[in-house]
Amino acid sequence: MTTIAVTPAAELPRRDWPFLIAAVLGTAVLVALVWLDGQPASAALILGGFALGIAFLKSEFSFTAAWRRFLVNGEAGGLIGALLLIAVAATVIVPVAALAPGFGGAIAPIGPSLIVGAFVFGIGMQLANGCGSGTLYTAGGGSGRMLITLALFIVGSVIGSLHLPAFLALGGIDPVLASNYFGAWGGLAVTLASIAIAAGLIAAIAKARGANFKPRPLILVGAIAIGLLSIAVFLAGHHPWSVTFGFTVWGAKLAALAGYDFSHAEFWQWPGPKRALAASILSDTSSLTNLGMILGAMAAAAAAKPFARTAWPPLPSLLAAAIGGLLMGWGARIGFGCNIGAFVGGVASGSLHGWIWFAAALAGCAIGIRLRPLFGLSRE
Amino acid sequence: MMRVVYAIVLIAGIAAVVADHLASPSSARAVSPEDFAGACAPCGAPCPSVQKKS
Repeated sequence: MTTIAVTPAAELPRRDWPFLIAAVLGTAVLVALVWLDGQPASAALILGGFALGIAFLKSEFSFTAAWRRFLVNGEAGGLIGALLLIAVAATVIVPVAALAPGFGGAIAPIGPSLIVGAFVFGIGMQLANGCGSGTLYTAGGGSGRMLITLALFIVGSVIGSLHLPAFLALGGIDPVLASNYFGAWGGLAVTLASIAIAAGLIAAIAKARGANFKPRPLILVGAIAIGLLSIAVFLAGHHPWSVTFGFTVWGAKLAALAGYDFSHAEFWQWPGPKRALAASILSDTSSLTNLGMILGAMAAAAAAKPFARTAWPPLPSLLAAAIGGLLMGWGARIGFGCNIGAFVGGVASGSLHGWIWFAAALAGCAIGIRLRPLFGLSRE
Repeated sequence: MMRVVYAIVLIAGIAAVVADHLASPSSARAVSPEDFAGACAPCGAPCPSVQKKS
């Protein structure tokens, strides 16, 4: 009789070499491709994304869980940490975007599209258990559940691209940018003041509810690291770090490969999207950082423990992941981005739309949290 | 099983990106839709003031 030896989980090697090597090799291949094209800035974006994946995974930096803890318990440490991240990024983004030719901040029109999109995104992020950056680093880090979220995020964002022109036709006002009214340095002062006021309000709410508002040391370190990496991505890409446009391009390219004709879709006739659909994925800034982030998170996860060794979650949880991804994809396209592109990028650019996005998404999160128990997920 | 799924997704994903890159034109540097004239949002949407005029 043949016996098969099964290695108990406790004896599995600490470092998962196959996935660690694969993640590093994959990154090297992508960097080599853009380097051979004479694009060192693109290589920097991939590596910046790689570092962001590590930073997010190692600091367990989560917008979604932080917002949920604040809404359910009043615990504000994670939310204050996010504001610190934005403040760090703003110190460079606001003045450079205002003063340096070729650089720009994250701006967006203010109207029904922004509010509806952000609200729907907020519902989705609580069902999915992750936002744009959260989906990237947890999927990259070995969560099969988040692979499903990522796939439906991509689908939802393509659908959103087809609906966005109709939402824009509902009306709105042009972007409101602090540096346009107060100059580069006045704009920075106003931006930092707005972040400080928001932090003060959030801390006051936490205190009133008897909850903590001080970020844990790991969150502080993560916030500063991610803020600095956001600056690096901005300097390499000339615009603030964004996530969801990359998903839209990936989905549209797959749909085009399957025979879908985008020539009648107004979104895909705008110069930027039209060019992105025709050109290489590695010519799109958000795709470069997205790919780097997935691979960086994979490398960090595989370097610490056996990779993707957990069981698949129950079906209701997977359903929540799928619905959450779809809502986030659609909401991000309609609302001009996710936590990173709209909230972090918008506020760090001194754009009013960032704060409006935040408020609408937070309201959506309150609904999403109430829906979580329907899928067997806890409200906390 | 999850490891198998990840291995397939990783290999297929990298292969797809490489194939797309080799089959598509690429510009002098990576760009975002905001780099194009008339873009009023990260996705390249036009400003409401421009939309009203047209």
